[in-house]
Amino acid sequence: MTSIKKEKAELLQGTLELLVLRLLGPGPLNGWDIMQRLHLVSGEVLSATPGALYPALHRLEARGLISATWGTSDNNRRAKFYQLTRAGRKQLQAERDYWERFSQAVETILREA
Amino acid sequence: MSSRFVKRMRALYRKDELERELDEELSYHLDRETERNLRAGLSPEAARNEALKSFAGFEQAKEECRDARGVRFFEKLARDLRYGGRMLAKNKSFTFVAVLSLALAIGANTAIFSVINSLMLQPLPFADSDRLVRIYSTTNGADVQGFGYPGGPSLVDVRDFSERNHSFEKMVVYDSWRKNVSFVDSAAEPEQLRVGLVPGAYFKTLGIQPLLGRLFSEDENRFGSHYVAAISERLWRTRFGGDRAILGRNIRINDEPYDVVAVMPNVIPDWMERGFAIDLWTPFAPSADIWSETARGDRGYAALGRLKPGVSIQQAQADLSMVAEGLAATYQVDRGVGVSLKPLADSRVGALLPVLLLLMGAVGLILLIACSNLANLILARNFVRQREFALRFALGEGRAGLIRQLLIENFLLALIGAGVGLALAQVVLCGLTRMHPDKLPQLSGIQMDLRVLLFTVGLSLLTSLLFGAAPAFAGSRVNLAATLKAGGRSGTEPRRQRLRNSLVVAQMALSLMLLVAACLLVQSILRLTRQDLGIRAEHVLKGHLYLPPAHYRDSQAVTRFSDQFADRVRAVPGVIDASVTTVFPPDNGWTQMFTIDGQPAPVRVEDISAAEFGLVDAHFLKTLQIPLLRGRDFSTADLATAQPVVLISDEFARRYLPNEDPLGRRIHIGDPRPTGAVASGAADSADVTIIGVIGGFKNVGLTLPPQAQIIGLYAQHPLVNYGFKDIVIRTASEPHSTEAAIRAQLRSLDSDMPFAEVQTIDELVAQQTGAERFTTLMLGAFAIVGLALALIGTYGVISYLVTQRTREFAVRLALGARPRNILWLILRQGLKLACLGTIIGLGGAWAGRRVMGRLLFGISATDPLTFAGGAALLVAVAFVASGVPAIRAMVIDPLRALHEE
Repeated sequence: MTSIKKEKAELLQGTLELLVLRLLGPGPLNGWDIMQRLHLVSGEVLSATPGALYPALHRLEARGLISATWGTSDNNRRAKFYQLTRAGRKQLQAERDYWERFSQAVETILREA
Repeated sequence: MSSRFVKRMRALYRKDELERELDEELSYHLDRETERNLRAGLSPEAARNEALKSFAGFEQAKEECRDARGVRFFEKLARDLRYGGRMLAKNKSFTFVAVLSLALAIGANTAIFSVINSLMLQPLPFADSDRLVRIYSTTNGADVQGFGYPGGPSLVDVRDFSERNHSFEKMVVYDSWRKNVSFVDSAAEPEQLRVGLVPGAYFKTLGIQPLLGRLFSEDENRFGSHYVAAISERLWRTRFGGDRAILGRNIRINDEPYDVVAVMPNVIPDWMERGFAIDLWTPFAPSADIWSETARGDRGYAALGRLKPGVSIQQAQADLSMVAEGLAATYQVDRGVGVSLKPLADSRVGALLPVLLLLMGAVGLILLIACSNLANLILARNFVRQREFALRFALGEGRAGLIRQLLIENFLLALIGAGVGLALAQVVLCGLTRMHPDKLPQLSGIQMDLRVLLFTVGLSLLTSLLFGAAPAFAGSRVNLAATLKAGGRSGTEPRRQRLRNSLVVAQMALSLMLLVAACLLVQSILRLTRQDLGIRAEHVLKGHLYLPPAHYRDSQAVTRFSDQFADRVRAVPGVIDASVTTVFPPDNGWTQMFTIDGQPAPVRVEDISAAEFGLVDAHFLKTLQIPLLRGRDFSTADLATAQPVVLISDEFARRYLPNEDPLGRRIHIGDPRPTGAVASGAADSADVTIIGVIGGFKNVGLTLPPQAQIIGLYAQHPLVNYGFKDIVIRTASEPHSTEAAIRAQLRSLDSDMPFAEVQTIDELVAQQTGAERFTTLMLGAFAIVGLALALIGTYGVISYLVTQRTREFAVRLALGARPRNILWLILRQGLKLACLGTIIGLGGAWAGRRVMGRLLFGISATDPLTFAGGAALLVAVAFVASGVPAIRAMVIDPLRALHEE
């Protein structure tokens, strides 16, 4: 999946799923919210196309890491909200640990080289 | 993991609802994006467009979401199944032939497997049946021969086994005899039934409880207190109408009254007691002296045991062998006699085991033939579908998808083939169970159960997937460019053609082997049943009588009754002659030791001669039309004198009195040893004079030549003039038409005596060849199936060839070749395959001659006429199979054919 705007970085699938899990930590969000927040929190560096995000959300749901309910959005429309399950929280923690170790390793190599 | 599966299942189930939700979710997003664009100042139209653009690949995103649901797999599967079904329906001829081949082979295999299942795999109908064993006495490793149960031990031996063993929980010895039974209160005719003489422990050992009443007690096993009986549920319902007040009612057995004390459930299968259905039991209470030492050598009883839990049959065998050795050391009559244990289940399949193994081999061959048919068909069809595959490949299906599609089509074929095969097998089994002759009681209980169903479906799947997989993989290897350019026909690859040809050759060879085997068996059985028995066998009726001692107390009474009855029967209209006898072909079963006066008596017991012995009246030779070779027949004068006379067979004269005139020689019948163990009473002691020599007749079964025979008059041997008598009757026309009149005569003499085992000699011979006929029938059916499959295979390959070379033939015809030449060209192809197949097939039949030889009678396993005939038939079939497509090729219109390219 390529992002439309070339300046924006291409997000890997797995990374996207990890970020989604992180964003859902504080509380339930719908797909639109997640996209906006991703853009905002990363300082407009990272964004995902809807064509990548929604499949990612459905995959996470199929794996049982997030669950979905229908609710009312802030503009009084019906929307699908996602939240973390307990398994999702555990996965988030595990992936975070891994990512830290990974990025440290990469950083070390880059610095050394 | 399982919750994911559950989610998938639920997703499948709620598909529509989930689709709507997905739509709604994505639409919400679109709307928000549109709104944002509107707020940014774009026109509504532009706002919408921008939103859509950002949502590049809306449909594809939906696809991905659906994919994520994990349900796509099932939807693809469903689509492939539907497509496969359509393809099969479109290529009707392919489907028909493929299913037919599969169904025939699967059906044959299922039928045989059902038989094997019923006879070998299904558990016996008793509790803990694997602990039940039969106990046999053996000499030199083989079962002892004699009266009664083959290999049956003696009562006294079993009593000692039972007391001295450590391995058995229960052991029981028993017997079964034919007895005259009258049902006192009912109008039913007296019958001769096989009565089980069993102690109550028999039922306890088998673990059977009575439906009504109680088992025999220990006291009732004593002679004098034994007048109680147990009847089977079957007898209870048919003769007593299921009367609830059955207990206490009376039955007369051999003219003595017995009280019914129990009704037993129909659990004991027929094969257990030598093929006889036993519906009546009385306690085993032979005369008091039967337990004495003198009866130790008296073998032929049935012995059954239940092992202690945890004791293996090998341990028990070692245990009992030690006891047997002890007995052999102590008692002279047990010297050299061993003991052998076999699981009760082994006697179920019994003599059919080698037959079943042969049939298993045969259906295996058929399966191979069908598989090669299938492989050929699929190869050919894949070839024709090259274009379709190429297109699908180009459209992005991918090789995996293509293979999956082909495998699914094979799977559908397998299911249909299994279904039709099951139906065919059911038909075959119905026919089998209906035709089962008395010698094969095991066949009556064959049915299809779950295990058979699983076997069938499993075999079908395995076959079609295995033999369809290779072509599937080959077919998916598509050379896109070449295929599409060449318009879907890339010419015959020589390698594939060779493969196809060798498959057909293999089919022909295999079916020829089956054909030869079947022809040999058919000839064998014809020779067996059409043998000369040594008598004039047409229009001879026979029947069995038992004169119970209670009513006929001495030899004179027996003689008087027998003579009277025979006289009355001779007076019946339609009867030419009749004779009361103990012997008639093909079996006798009564041997006597003898010594010839003037020849030295042997010292060792093994050297004492024994001959077949029979007691008859003066009408024997005339009734059976046995030729008198020398001397004279019996006459009424002989009965008056005290001088016992005998007739001997030519075999006897040849063996024991060669180069001498036997007439006038004296024989001593009986054990020559001064004080030998007195056997069960089948012994006689008499000096007789030979008055004549008769032609030999079959007396030890259909397959063996006649043995030496001595015939005496029962009136002259009071010691062995037992109540067991048969009567042979020669009639003018259809024997059974006189049956009613004969029964009436018997009834007028003794209303309690049944006339049993009534059949003609021809019917008796047919009954005895039951196992052989079964084998022949089955193998014959399989040979036909094999041939049909080979025919289909050949036709398929040749006709494919014709299609391939249509262009070439068209060119030839256009260039002036005559249609005749084309015909011959194609025929030659077919005949070439046939010749190769014939040679290999004959080689195979020759290689299996030893196995076949064991099953044949009167014909060699390499009979050249049969071999030649089989080969000729195969070539003829191949001729026809190639002929049809060849004729079609002849009428090719060259212009049209070339144009169509």
